[in-house]
Amino acid sequence: MPALLAENVTAGYGHSPIINDITLSAELNSVTTIIGPNGAGKSTFAKTLVGILRPTSGRIVVNDVDITRMAGHLIPRHGLVYVPQNDNVFKRLTVRENLEVGGFASRANTAARMEEILDIFTDLQKAVEKKAGFLSGGQQNLLAIARALMVDPSVIMLDEPTAGLSPAYTDVVWSQIARIAKLNTAVLVVEQNVERALKHSDEVHIFVAGRNHVHGAADEIAGLDLASIFLGRSHAS
Amino acid sequence: MSGIWYYIFTLVFFLFDYFILAMGLNIQYGETGILNFAYIGFVAIGAYVTGAFSLPNSVGTGQQYILGLSLPFPLGLILGGLAACLFAVIVALISLRRLRTDYLAMVLISLSLVLYDVCNNYVPLFNGADGLYNVPEPFAGVLHLTTNSFIPFFAGVTGAIAVVMWLVMGRVTRSPLGRTLRAIRDDDVVAAALGKDVFRNQLKSMLIGSFYAGIGGGLIMEFSGSFNPTAWLPGETFVVFAVIIVGGVGNNIGMLMGSLVVETLLVHLPAFLPDIPGHPGLIEYFDAVIIGVLLMVMLWFRPQGIVPERLRRAATFGVRDDLGAEANLPPDELSALAPSPVVQPGTLQARSATNE
Ligand SMILES: Nc1ncnc2c1ncn2[C@@H]1O[C@H](COP(=O)(O)OP(=O)(O)O)[C@@H](O)[C@H]1O
Ligand SMILES: [Mg+2]
Repeated sequence: MPALLAENVTAGYGHSPIINDITLSAELNSVTTIIGPNGAGKSTFAKTLVGILRPTSGRIVVNDVDITRMAGHLIPRHGLVYVPQNDNVFKRLTVRENLEVGGFASRANTAARMEEILDIFTDLQKAVEKKAGFLSGGQQNLLAIARALMVDPSVIMLDEPTAGLSPAYTDVVWSQIARIAKLNTAVLVVEQNVERALKHSDEVHIFVAGRNHVHGAADEIAGLDLASIFLGRSHAS
Repeated sequence: MSGIWYYIFTLVFFLFDYFILAMGLNIQYGETGILNFAYIGFVAIGAYVTGAFSLPNSVGTGQQYILGLSLPFPLGLILGGLAACLFAVIVALISLRRLRTDYLAMVLISLSLVLYDVCNNYVPLFNGADGLYNVPEPFAGVLHLTTNSFIPFFAGVTGAIAVVMWLVMGRVTRSPLGRTLRAIRDDDVVAAALGKDVFRNQLKSMLIGSFYAGIGGGLIMEFSGSFNPTAWLPGETFVVFAVIIVGGVGNNIGMLMGSLVVETLLVHLPAFLPDIPGHPGLIEYFDAVIIGVLLMVMLWFRPQGIVPERLRRAATFGVRDDLGAEANLPPDELSALAPSPVVQPGTLQARSATNE
């Protein structure tokens, strides 16, 4: 059983669905990436996973627990945590406070966990007392990821964690993603940079017009004609 | 006691009373981001319920009101605070669960108008437009206080209550609950994604703030012995907002400063000035203008208020971040960038590009 399983999920904002019949799974110790053109429904899918949007059909299972209709704030307890695409830190809270909000276990646990996490995110260590709004865009994204790890998730869903970052900082974020996956976590990432997605992921899914158009191991996907897939043509190459 | 002391202790009373009221609104708006435009309604409920519990049975008083149990201080006051909490639960269940900030604010302001009309027109509740009066002065009998000595005495009692409530509020805002409330204020979706029950926490914030509103209202009732609809016109909510914005949203001690500047110096001190001959009430109207202008000036030049949320050294860029590391800027150039509150990703790329 995969850590995360989404089966035939259909969802949207109003009456007509944005994403249709999406099936996708994510395994522990691996990086699963969703790529696809702008507006394909990647963020919509992410929001549906974590209860911000309600699927009209299909089901979502995390660690064998069906979370499809669960209230959003109960989902992290079952091991799935989400980092949104933009504006993902509490800007007027310090870095430390941001991390503390993520830890809902005991106070002692929170402190110990924060130490472990700051050991991984050395960049943040230097800025713990700084307000998160004063961090650079890249640091804010790292903080959001670090804070999500405070929950001790088995599945972490990152929506475009490298959007708007410089190439150097994008590498920093991706190396952290690889590291997180090795901590017995399933990492699900939305990424618009195809090249990086293929380089760093185990599994790749291509969303086009609200459907999970193509998926497979990263090296298989690398051999496909991605330009025509993105344009919505058939993936027979 | 000479007249001047009477004035001074009245000002002291309102200083502490609005300190309490401002702390209550601050946890709702400043800490949690709930734009409670009905705040004065919670104050009024506290005042009326305190009065109605403290007054004797209404038969033969020439007034009409519910309750009338002659409860001794501070029972009536505490029940006034709890009544405001009860109203908060009702308001929260109606509006908080479904509505976002701006819509919530609209619903709350309407609710405050409805409450006002009900209290003003439904006489059997709290004596309608005449309001409650002749509410017994706490301890006046026991301590043989005259009308004059009651005023400094009760200003002192209010000061003591305010200090206790300040200490309690300090604990709340520093606790994990306070941190969660501020997280919700900054981003409720992200807070929920981290496992925080947004509604439950907002409800807690509403309850705590409403208790402060109710106590602040009850104290006004106990202090002045009367309370009627002219004391809580819906616009009064904005005086409390002015107190917290001037004082510094999100900071409890700022609330005392805001209360001093807005409530004591601007609202109550001028009320003791003699009327300008031929223009009765002009000073009060002018007051509203001054508060409005002060509010705009503060929001423009010092939005963080007199006492900012947190006086942290860290916010002054003592620490190098990746901006400096990537672009290799010397420290002084780094600090030149500091005033920009949030370094946007776009800026970051532009800078590293020009430095490569
Ligand atoms: N809050 C919203 N309300 C209504 N429609 C939305 C909303 N957010 C996104 N959409 C629409 O849903 C579609 C998919 O958007 P999104 O999931 O953000 O795409 P992606 O993340 O793949 O770029 C787009 O057509 C977009 O206009
Ligand atoms: Mg998106």
